[in-house]
Amino acid sequence: MIISKLKEALICFKAGRVTLPYPFAPHDPEDGFHGRVVVDAEKCVGCGGCAEVCPPRCIEVSDPDPDRRVLDFLLERCTYCARCAEVCPEEAVTVTKEYETATNDLNDMHMHIEVFMSTCRRCGRCYEPPTPLDRLMVTGFRPPTGKSEEA
Amino acid sequence: MTTAELVRALRHDFGAAIQSVEEPVSDKVRVAVTPESVVAVAKSLYRDYGARFLITAGIDSRKDRDGFDVDHIFSLDKEQIFFIVRTTVPSDGPHVAAITPEVPAAAWAERELQDLLGVKADGLLDGRRLILPDDWPEGVHPLRKDIKYGDWPPLGDGTGEATYPWKPAPEGTSTVVVGPFFPVLEEPTQLRLYVDGERVIDCDYRGFYNHRAIEKMGDSELTYNEIPFVAERICGICGFIHSSCYCEAAEEALGITAPRRARYIRSLMLELERIHSHMLWTGIAGHILGFDTVLMQTWRMREPLMWLCEKISGNRKTYGMNIIGGVRRDISRDLYPEILSVVEKIEQEWAQLYDAVQGDTILKARLVGVGMLPEETAKALAAVGPTGRGSNQAIDARADHPYAAYDEVPAKVITHPDCDNWARVVVRLEETLESVRWIREGLKEMPDGPVMATDIAETVPAGHWGVCTVEAPRGEAIHYLVTGGDNRPDRWRVRAPTYANLQALPSMIKDETIADVPITLGSMDPCFSCTERVEVVNMRSGEAETLTHQELLTRSRAATERLRGR
Repeated sequence: MIISKLKEALICFKAGRVTLPYPFAPHDPEDGFHGRVVVDAEKCVGCGGCAEVCPPRCIEVSDPDPDRRVLDFLLERCTYCARCAEVCPEEAVTVTKEYETATNDLNDMHMHIEVFMSTCRRCGRCYEPPTPLDRLMVTGFRPPTGKSEEA
Repeated sequence: MTTAELVRALRHDFGAAIQSVEEPVSDKVRVAVTPESVVAVAKSLYRDYGARFLITAGIDSRKDRDGFDVDHIFSLDKEQIFFIVRTTVPSDGPHVAAITPEVPAAAWAERELQDLLGVKADGLLDGRRLILPDDWPEGVHPLRKDIKYGDWPPLGDGTGEATYPWKPAPEGTSTVVVGPFFPVLEEPTQLRLYVDGERVIDCDYRGFYNHRAIEKMGDSELTYNEIPFVAERICGICGFIHSSCYCEAAEEALGITAPRRARYIRSLMLELERIHSHMLWTGIAGHILGFDTVLMQTWRMREPLMWLCEKISGNRKTYGMNIIGGVRRDISRDLYPEILSVVEKIEQEWAQLYDAVQGDTILKARLVGVGMLPEETAKALAAVGPTGRGSNQAIDARADHPYAAYDEVPAKVITHPDCDNWARVVVRLEETLESVRWIREGLKEMPDGPVMATDIAETVPAGHWGVCTVEAPRGEAIHYLVTGGDNRPDRWRVRAPTYANLQALPSMIKDETIADVPITLGSMDPCFSCTERVEVVNMRSGEAETLTHQELLTRSRAATERLRGR
């Protein structure tokens, strides 16, 4: 009995102090950590592949008018599986190491992206014009700096 | 015995009652039988051929053949055979003869069949509701295809009309109501203990308050490749087993072969998960008994493993690595030495802890001879995992139906003959060391190559099926999948290990004291919780007292303190 208690005490002594002073000292995750996703609106072509595969369905795609495709990322529902980054053909979605996402304002977890697109004459659906030159012909096109707004 | 021999024997015994036999994958058979003979066939499988009952899956097939399919899934562990007995009952007032009187382990499965599919099981001794709420209207069965996901029938106004028909308390006992939020289980669960003084005479159970309709979501909302991520969230501690089990079953149904390396990675993650789950459990068991040194030290030892998992998968828990056809992330060879060093450190520390715990007479006094689950009961109720293995039942899906990489690198099945709480502790302590050994062997054998299958067909045929079991830290999980036409399963049946083990609870806590109930339940490793309350109603005096989580814990710990002589 006493011996087993001594053994237990020894395990504790050997361990020493293991707790980290977080949040007073940063604790950075390793490379490859699945943190908050960010979307590069410049690269996004509006294909909506990310929305197709997202298991919690936190990406909403809508076409409010023929030249505009809107993607809303509602990241408060994100499960950090990074499927969106995996399927994005343009590598517009990237996974960051950011994990301190607690917030009082839900808007902090929302991303709103508008992609200006052409309309297919045949089917009437949006598509990304092949070159930037073609993009200038799309009605409502704005210069890149104001092209997207992240709320 | 091979499947062919077994089918021949059944044909000999039952003749024309055996309507058809399918064996799409070797050693996985589905036999269609007439509704009249289903009990006889099930009884024969259970009694004469030593088959173990796993689960029943009811399928609404009214659009194809105007009936409901009832699939009883059995396992012949020694022969590594899955044997499914299917019977189809007409859709008008569907009913089927219950197999529970002959196969006791089917009790919950058949009550669930009645609740969710509305197929009445004739001859059930206890045919009360299992899953549906008390105020759920009669005749609405959520798993039928005409009910949409998210539909909600008009319920009562909550004024207390609906009540659950609890078992009447035996003469001269008081009723201790534990729940509806259970202090030890994570899920909302209600347990009524009928006690005489401190001794538990009988108990009754009501659960499923938090039923999430994941199966319904799987066959009406999600697509094949979204399900692994949802399946992983069935359990918060051992989620990877569910996504692996689903993926293996789906790959079998869809005719996809995952590359060898992907299957080794699955096994590796499963073993890492087993180690950290057993470490977590050991800590909590210590905590329940007032032995917080164990809690602190096991959780300290566990932490580097969690960081390792984060490094491998990107997530500390709920890795999201599985997908039909393989895994999403490869493990770099540079990481092998680190994996080995983390688990070998655990092995070394775990051996010290095992040694210390083994000599602790007070700890043993609380565990040895408490929560007895005799071998025959464990067998009859088909207890699985450490709960079954602690009662000398050598049931381990890794050996019974090898999946992932366990066919090439087998895992040793650890059993203990003592049938008490201590036996279940020893099984878990030793399994942790066995998992470390597996990881060492597995990493040595792990081949190079792709981690994702490339030959996935464009279209997925309907009506194919697959069944898989995976050994979770808590026991055996089963996924049974029938493919459907619209890029999602027609039916996806999941059985988590606690479903089987909880049915053994009444016999485990019978004749124990209230103070022993938390650790006995805990020894089964259901999910744990805090901040709940327990109400004690004294039926004789009519007085009600309320026990908080803290007070129940205090009772459990006071029993240890008394032994310590303080």
